[in-house]
Amino acid sequence: MRNKRLLMCLVIAILAFIVVPFCVNAEDKTIKIGAMYPMTGRAGLYGKDSVAAAEMAIDEINGKGGVAGYKIDATFTDSKVKPAYAVRVAKRYITEDEVDFLFGVVSSGVGLAVTEISQQYKTIFIGTDHASTRLTVDNFQPYYFRVSNNTFQSMTAGALYLKELAETKPWKKIAFIGPDYAYGHSQWDEIRYNLDRFGVEYEVVGEYWPKIYAPDYTSYITSILKDKPDVLISGFWGGDTVAFIKQAQAYGLFEKALYFHPDAGGNYELMSAMGAELPDGLVLGARHYNNWPDTELNRNFVQEFKKRTGRFPTYAAEGAYAGIYAIAHAVEVVGNPDDTEALVKALEGLKIKLPEDPEGFTSYIRPETHQITQVMAIGTTMPNEDFPPAKKMLGNWKIYKAEDLDPPAEYIEMKRKK
Amino acid sequence: MDFSFFITQAISGMTMATLLFLVASGLTLIFGVGNVFNFAHGSFYMVGAYFGYQLVAIWELNFWIALVLAGLGAGLVGMLAESLFLRRIYGRVNEGGFQILLTYCLILIIDDLVKLIWGTEYKSLPRPKGFSGAVTFGDIYLPSYNLLIIAIGVVVVVASWWILTRTRPGKIARAAAVDREMVDTLGVNVPLTMTLVFGIATALGGMAGALAAPLRTVTPGAGIEVIIDSLIVVVLGGMGNFWGAWLGAILVGEVNAFAVAFVPKWASLFSFLVMVIVLIFKPEGLFSPRQVRKV
Repeated sequence: MRNKRLLMCLVIAILAFIVVPFCVNAEDKTIKIGAMYPMTGRAGLYGKDSVAAAEMAIDEINGKGGVAGYKIDATFTDSKVKPAYAVRVAKRYITEDEVDFLFGVVSSGVGLAVTEISQQYKTIFIGTDHASTRLTVDNFQPYYFRVSNNTFQSMTAGALYLKELAETKPWKKIAFIGPDYAYGHSQWDEIRYNLDRFGVEYEVVGEYWPKIYAPDYTSYITSILKDKPDVLISGFWGGDTVAFIKQAQAYGLFEKALYFHPDAGGNYELMSAMGAELPDGLVLGARHYNNWPDTELNRNFVQEFKKRTGRFPTYAAEGAYAGIYAIAHAVEVVGNPDDTEALVKALEGLKIKLPEDPEGFTSYIRPETHQITQVMAIGTTMPNEDFPPAKKMLGNWKIYKAEDLDPPAEYIEMKRKK
Repeated sequence: MDFSFFITQAISGMTMATLLFLVASGLTLIFGVGNVFNFAHGSFYMVGAYFGYQLVAIWELNFWIALVLAGLGAGLVGMLAESLFLRRIYGRVNEGGFQILLTYCLILIIDDLVKLIWGTEYKSLPRPKGFSGAVTFGDIYLPSYNLLIIAIGVVVVVASWWILTRTRPGKIARAAAVDREMVDTLGVNVPLTMTLVFGIATALGGMAGALAAPLRTVTPGAGIEVIIDSLIVVVLGGMGNFWGAWLGAILVGEVNAFAVAFVPKWASLFSFLVMVIVLIFKPEGLFSPRQVRKV
């Protein structure tokens, strides 16, 4: 009998320990963010950088006392780059941890799965990296916002670049190589859509679809050489770019065709991996650059990141950093992180000064698509040892105005009708 | 299609085939002798690539010395893995299931160790001195490093064949493959033989990794990318068949090279298609003797 009572007391004590912190937490004013990033394999690099940059933004904001009396508290979970797994994590975040925002995701495949959960549970999902245009156009839903460029924007900038190029250095024949999944295919569709829209004449001489993460491109390279394109448009992602460039260099491809890679070619990790080996004169673009724009905000962002992690950031970092600031701005406008509908309204009208904004421009969310609209730059590889271990960086920038890059209304209409 | 393109494309297929073979050779050796399916074999390839990176890019060693050391290093890691872990599950009921689980765990562990030591950033190695150029015959343009890889592949095939069929240790290894107990009774230290075979196989994988590093991206997860294609090669050649692995690799490499040239949209499909056809019509592998099928 006594034993039973003792047991009872113990159970109550344990329950109290478990429940009390929750009660305290609820009174504690926090903005809860449930973040998902890949931590393993090839995409792990982007996951790690995103987490570091998000934490950096959180520390900056909380260090100044938080927003509207709230502190930001983020939990990070490995997405494993598996949509089904990320969906389970997102559901757990919403139902058990009661997060105010879903956050993150490097892969568009994972993003497309998580955006459905966001819609179903009416929980705002801030996309920081994945680039598939489908999230803001075809599969648009009101609780999704993206704070980094999508492929349509980079492909529009790319098409404008090629149009200008034709005036100084005539070209006609193009070939494409990119990974055989949504990301690669949308880039190819979007660049042609935009070239057509701008009335640029071109002839497609080859189209190649290796698997993502394929280690060997030699046969593709020799086949591209046979096609003799003037411009090779590339849609590779991540480390695949490194492997392709090294193998193509061995065949002298870059002397015979212009290598043009506007969405993810200009990623810093390519420069840091290849050092002096990286050829000059490749035309590349990315969603964030460590050496452009040369503004105080960008310099501080890059140097602070370096101080925290010991390395320069990849493009993914700035997206995560921007995402945290977007949340902070929205909560500041609304006054709390609980009124989801008001937060959606606040995010729709969001204007936010980010490290990747040049002087005189402020990024903004376009209400029809919930897509951030930003200036884009495309550069050419050239020697620059300011960001070691890279020995080459981009320069000779061509800048494209933000409002010219967004998908036109008829494009959105056409895609949403389908 | 003109002749020079045919040659260029065939040679580029051979480059891919040789690197594939160097990975698959170790896989098939472990399978043939030890009857172990080493799912983690690709991880030893990755470890070799990282050793190569460490030795050449950080310690600034000569590439050729680094290549040998990277192979030896990966072999050492392999022998450790075999004697600490794999040895414990030999002879269990349902050993196959345990093998897959255990070697899959090894993939995850090795991946994380690599991440701890070298970080997640992509790494790369320049091509060694004297092999950064190309050889040209008229219109045919062949990078000298690619030709070197192909030559190394041929040397490995011939040397392995010679060791396995003409030397005493090779004969013991083959005998152990047929009947472990009998070889044991004859006074051969079978566990040690197994460890050595595992070491040689993983050393081959590691050397392939270091050899591929100047052409590929050195990154965590690099092992998983090569293991599937290597598995296809091993199945095509016949599990445990060394020559078969080489010919199987050439078949996959060339089928891929010409599929890319003529039907680029469907190129990735063809190596799988070849495997399916072989599995249906000659499941013991293209280059293995036909087995009597039990009813």
